[in-house]
Amino acid sequence: MESKVLKPILAVYVGLFLLFLYGPFLVLGILSFQQGPEGGPQFPITEWSTFWYKHLFGLAPPSRVSPLPIGEALFRSMTLAGMTMITSTVLGVMSAQAFRKNFRGKSVIFYLIVLGMIVPGVLVGLGTALVATTTGIDRHWWSTAFATHVVYTFPFAFLVMLAIFNRFDSSVEEASWSLGVSPLKTFRKVTFPLIFPGVLSAMLFAFTLSYDEFSRTLFSSGRDQTLPLAIYGTFTVEIHPNVFAFGVLTTIFSFSLLAVYAILMTLSVRRAKRVAIQEAIA
Amino acid sequence: MSVADAQATVTIVPASTAPLVSRDSASSYWLIAPAVIFMSLFLVIPILMIVYVSFWTQTTFKIEAKLTLDSWQTFFASDTYITSLFTTVRIWLIVLVTTFVVGYPTALFVGLFVRNKTLQTALLVMCVIPFWTSFLIRVLAWRPMLGKEGAINIILQGLGIIQQPIEALLFTELSVIIGMTQIYVVFMVGPIAFMLGRIDPSLIEAARDLGADFWRILRKIIFPLSLPGVVVGAIFVSVMVLGEFATSAALSGRKVNLLGNIIVTQVGSLKWALASVVGVILTVIMGLVVAGLLRIVDLKKEL
Repeated sequence: MESKVLKPILAVYVGLFLLFLYGPFLVLGILSFQQGPEGGPQFPITEWSTFWYKHLFGLAPPSRVSPLPIGEALFRSMTLAGMTMITSTVLGVMSAQAFRKNFRGKSVIFYLIVLGMIVPGVLVGLGTALVATTTGIDRHWWSTAFATHVVYTFPFAFLVMLAIFNRFDSSVEEASWSLGVSPLKTFRKVTFPLIFPGVLSAMLFAFTLSYDEFSRTLFSSGRDQTLPLAIYGTFTVEIHPNVFAFGVLTTIFSFSLLAVYAILMTLSVRRAKRVAIQEAIA
Repeated sequence: MSVADAQATVTIVPASTAPLVSRDSASSYWLIAPAVIFMSLFLVIPILMIVYVSFWTQTTFKIEAKLTLDSWQTFFASDTYITSLFTTVRIWLIVLVTTFVVGYPTALFVGLFVRNKTLQTALLVMCVIPFWTSFLIRVLAWRPMLGKEGAINIILQGLGIIQQPIEALLFTELSVIIGMTQIYVVFMVGPIAFMLGRIDPSLIEAARDLGADFWRILRKIIFPLSLPGVVVGAIFVSVMVLGEFATSAALSGRKVNLLGNIIVTQVGSLKWALASVVGVILTVIMGLVVAGLLRIVDLKKEL
């Protein structure tokens, strides 16, 4: 293999590739510090300022640019993501637990669940809206939109838990049962602590996917907007750097979620190790 | 099998290979029932509803459950909708090719050339990180990049490569393709890199010892072995691009109308029956594409 020549070329290519992935975001970050309210969403930067960040929080003096309607939308998106996270994680753990045994219809049910993450959001949203209109059910972000979100995030939680149970050593559970501990208590005291890292990952997936979900929400959420819908609303009108500033803030928020996840993960792994060592000593 | 029997089996067989039958499967049904009910109610019924409603009678402001082919005829008789159908298929094919062409060398480097596991993971994580930012913001971020006074034009002019700004970059089909490529390329890179990472290096070494040059190795060994990854990536990209409407809404200036955009407009004007027709057509295309891709390789055997 001409890897002496090829490897550096490919390395340079990967560098360019990463630039392609991150470039737009860098530009967006820079432009969020555009001068306001006259500065437009393009170069050159007339003057560096934090005007658009203040504008976002309603701290800027009133101008012709109307503020993004994000206050209540943020609350709705967070609540919805929280609800979705809990529901899909509980469903995911239950289903994966069921999949540890063989039962009839197992593979059909597997495809049924996985279908939820494959079917495009616009179709799920449309179908849900149709069912709601024809049956006369009101569409709300906490009812119909919530259902579409769980349909999407639950398969992710399920697959994560399935992977965790695949590597799970069930002899500890059997030990617990043979000592006469009830199955429910065994699950709470033995199984759950062991699968907890997986549960955390499932929760992270479900929360971030739901928080960012938009094509499903578009048709199924009714009048009150979630955060992605509020951003989608800016697509049709002239955009201002306040959308960029908002983009920077949501990115920071997502990364702090990721950081919380990393910390909890490290702690739970460390605790699992400590328990293992204690057992080894005893 | 009684519970005692089951437990006896478990104690004999090593834990890792034990068939998990320590209790009868009735408990499995109770555990899986909520999920099945939920998915049937909120996934299967809505999808069937789309098919059903596509045959309903649409009047100006409401739909009636009187079966008719009117909406189907409207769709196939209209130039706008047929054009949109072809645009969707064209953009899907182009993005499929661009994500593959742009993504494959990256996957090649990450999966095959980087043998250090930490570096490999770090590079993959770097590819995935953009996914932790909002999808819509990622789409919008292309506007200040591609515009007439956008970053790309400024850089190209600064380098003296072009004299006049390229106006064709934004609000054209090209901008939609660039945007979609950037957003979906990672779904190509991941599965391909995964498959490439599993190639036994001695295989390539053997081919080289026998005198094969790199292109021949790439064509005869590396690419065939990475094909399952390409297929998985293609399925991801296809399903997502075919269901798209936000990227074209944000970056094409309403010039590119995908089937997804038609659905959004029709729902906006309460034309449920026509929206459903488009939904069914989209579902059929997607089904055909996925089935076709799955014929290329037997994924169950490969993964």
